[in-house]
Amino acid sequence: MASVLARRARGSAAAALWGAARGFASVGSDIVSAAPGVSLQKARSWDEGVATKFSTTPLKDIFHGKKVVIFGLPGAYTGVCSQAHVPSYKNNIDKLKAKGIDSVICVAVNDPYVLKGWAEKLQAKDAIEFYGDFDGSFHKSLDLEIDLSAALLGRRSHRWSAFVDNGKIKAFNVEKAPSEFKVSGAEVILDQI
Amino acid sequence: MAPISVGDSLPDGQLGWFDENDQLQQVSIHSLAAGKKVILFGVPGAFTPTCSNQHVPGFITQAEQLKAKGVDEILLISVNDPFVMKAWAKTYPENKHVKFLADGVGTYTKALGLELDLTEKGLGVRSRRFALLADNLKVTVANIEEGGQFTISGAEEILKAL
Repeated sequence: MASVLARRARGSAAAALWGAARGFASVGSDIVSAAPGVSLQKARSWDEGVATKFSTTPLKDIFHGKKVVIFGLPGAYTGVCSQAHVPSYKNNIDKLKAKGIDSVICVAVNDPYVLKGWAEKLQAKDAIEFYGDFDGSFHKSLDLEIDLSAALLGRRSHRWSAFVDNGKIKAFNVEKAPSEFKVSGAEVILDQI
Repeated sequence: MAPISVGDSLPDGQLGWFDENDQLQQVSIHSLAAGKKVILFGVPGAFTPTCSNQHVPGFITQAEQLKAKGVDEILLISVNDPFVMKAWAKTYPENKHVKFLADGVGTYTKALGLELDLTEKGLGVRSRRFALLADNLKVTVANIEEGGQFTISGAEEILKAL
């Protein structure tokens, strides 16, 4: 947590250099190189998993050659995530597409089957692509991991959002606390695109 | 840890649970099972097909018969967080008796020796499919599946044993 705040306190150029050297995510760094060898799992049903032999999606397939808005949250089926964070993107999908965004992605440390159930419940599957970082390796690589054992969730992700253009992070917002929802919503990122 | 078997004592452990008043609690297995006849059944994952469509419904529909035969508690555990378990429980509005308990990081499942690595299927370390009957913490029936099958771990097998 302290490292995230310290990073943002430095100027963005210095932060980009430090970020690039450490391999963590920050404005200017490449999200795919920051998490080498990491892949995500698209939300799916078990049958779809079997049919695709439980395949995973490498980050470069998600980010290369595309303008992507990606947001991460602590957990499917939890309060702020369900009631504020996902709806914010679902309700602004037209505005995001109008600004040239190719995909809007929601990622969480959940398995892809739970995420599919949740996406359907929120009726957000058409607007947003849901991906599972089931073992937390994506978020760990980006230094976005947080221990939420006190809330009985275990190792999860901070609440964050980013605008990534062809793999390069152009905007990056992380809430000070996962229960907050101030900088990681769609309205903020719309201004940053 | 060797898998739990008949004659063993049920270990204690803390599981997460949203109670009837929607309050998030940590409950101890011993507090639910000491001095009582309980069924403890486990599944690999909430929102997956065999678990959702066969294993859990079996215990929900047979709950009254099981209670009539002296079972005090029917406890379902899965390596999922309590929010996911609560959402999954809500998909069974007809459920009156089965308690959906969350073994968030798998600690209790490991204490039972019943963990199963499903990393390849995108699930991480989960639980084997099983059903136990315990009488005042002593395990009297232990039906543990190999792999993800559903052959001996259902409600009917426990009913036969009661």
